[in-house]
Amino acid sequence: MSHSILVVEDDVDIRQALVEILEEHGFPAVSAGDGAEALDYLRKAPELPCLILLDLMMPVMDGATFREVQRKEPRIASIPVVVLSAYRDLDRHVNGLDAVSVLRKPPSVRELVTVLQAHC
Amino acid sequence: MTSSPPQTEVPARPSASDGKAPRTSEERFRELVSSVKDYAIFMLDPSGRIESWNAGAERTKGYTADEIIGEHMSRFYTPEDLARGLPGTLLAQAQRDGRVESEGWRLRKDGTRFWADVVITAVVDDHGRLTGFAKVTRDLTDRLRAQEEQLRLAQAEEAVRLRDEFLSIAAHELRTPLSAVQLQLQGLLELPGGIDPRIRARVERACRSGDRLVTLVDTLLDVSRITTGSLTLVPGVFDLTAVVQEVVERYREHAVRAHSPVTVRSTGPLQGRWDRLRIEQVVTNILVNALKYASGTQVDIVLSGDESEVTIRMADGGPGIPESEWERIFRRFERAAPMRNFGGLGLGLYVARQIVEAHGGTIDLAPGRARGAEFVIRLPRSTAPGSAR
Repeated sequence: MSHSILVVEDDVDIRQALVEILEEHGFPAVSAGDGAEALDYLRKAPELPCLILLDLMMPVMDGATFREVQRKEPRIASIPVVVLSAYRDLDRHVNGLDAVSVLRKPPSVRELVTVLQAHC
Repeated sequence: MTSSPPQTEVPARPSASDGKAPRTSEERFRELVSSVKDYAIFMLDPSGRIESWNAGAERTKGYTADEIIGEHMSRFYTPEDLARGLPGTLLAQAQRDGRVESEGWRLRKDGTRFWADVVITAVVDDHGRLTGFAKVTRDLTDRLRAQEEQLRLAQAEEAVRLRDEFLSIAAHELRTPLSAVQLQLQGLLELPGGIDPRIRARVERACRSGDRLVTLVDTLLDVSRITTGSLTLVPGVFDLTAVVQEVVERYREHAVRAHSPVTVRSTGPLQGRWDRLRIEQVVTNILVNALKYASGTQVDIVLSGDESEVTIRMADGGPGIPESEWERIFRRFERAAPMRNFGGLGLGLYVARQIVEAHGGTIDLAPGRARGAEFVIRLPRSTAPGSAR
């Protein structure tokens, strides 16, 4: 596994901001606009990311569905996932997703970096 | 089968001595018609002049028989219907088809209108010659009003539903770009290598405004969850005293700016099973209100509990809230103070009460205070997972 992070987020402004912030703090980042794009990337990637930053509400394939498929594919199943949720009541939306961490949107840069350092 | 005694016709009541009791079946029928109260039933001559009148007609239209017999039936029609010749049209149709039915506004003697269902039947003799018309009119005004009321109610409900739906969509849509703005601002503040202190101060201020916007949008989202019944509670065991102290600590700076010292007294740890985030929200909403409306006065929070429930009392020394307003301020978009003096959506107390009630508790104002407002929140120690309505 590399030290890169895969950012899965449909909103282009949030996605770009996350990628920039991650790179500024020493984490190379790649991104996908929804769950299907993310799966596509992971299946073809020669080197897998060390962590996936996952939004939940996305068109085409949402975060929960992505996670379901990811966990069934042995090659990518073990990549840890950090969920980003827009909701105040975070745990309502992430039950059963088995995320290593759940951050509320927008995450503070410090908590984001702390979580990433723990897993990458 | 047993044979029953032959049926005998019940003899007509003995004739009264005045000799007015009906004898023939036609007379009995006339009496029946004249006593009907729910329907105006009367006869017209071939030209439309009234020949008979019953109790229902008098009740519906307001004329006595003496006043109306001999008059033309067009008297009951509105000027608009007269202008388009409706009475003549109806009679012509009844004559042609044997019968005509129509609904519309008709006039009473006093000039008021009623919604009538009218059936006009042509009456002909053995030779097929028109001898007149039988007219039966029913006052359906109440039914029409009920239908209109139902329609208005349905329209009002639809408007409320659309508003709530819009609120939910708007809040969701606002939340995403707001997150992007906050991320960018935070990214600037956390740039490795630091940023110019003057820029930092400005970005920090922008961040604070962003935080306020997030709080406002989240409140709107809560309201839409409450109205759709999807505000779910996730209870866990925690110490209420510690949570209240944390909230107060979080608002310490805010309290200093408002010149309102905040004290917390408790009998000790108060364990219970509640939704921690939601209870924090309730305490925050009441505290923020106190700092806003009662700034410059002390805010005292007192916690106590017994085996089954805990009580949080939050009192300030501000202007207080008149008792007549106590129910109103817990409704949506209401506020204790005039809008022009204070900002906010008027949703804090509404959301607070919904959350407390979802926990099976109550939130009210304490009576009999000489000064300021005192909110009393009672929470049962244990809450089953459920949703607010």
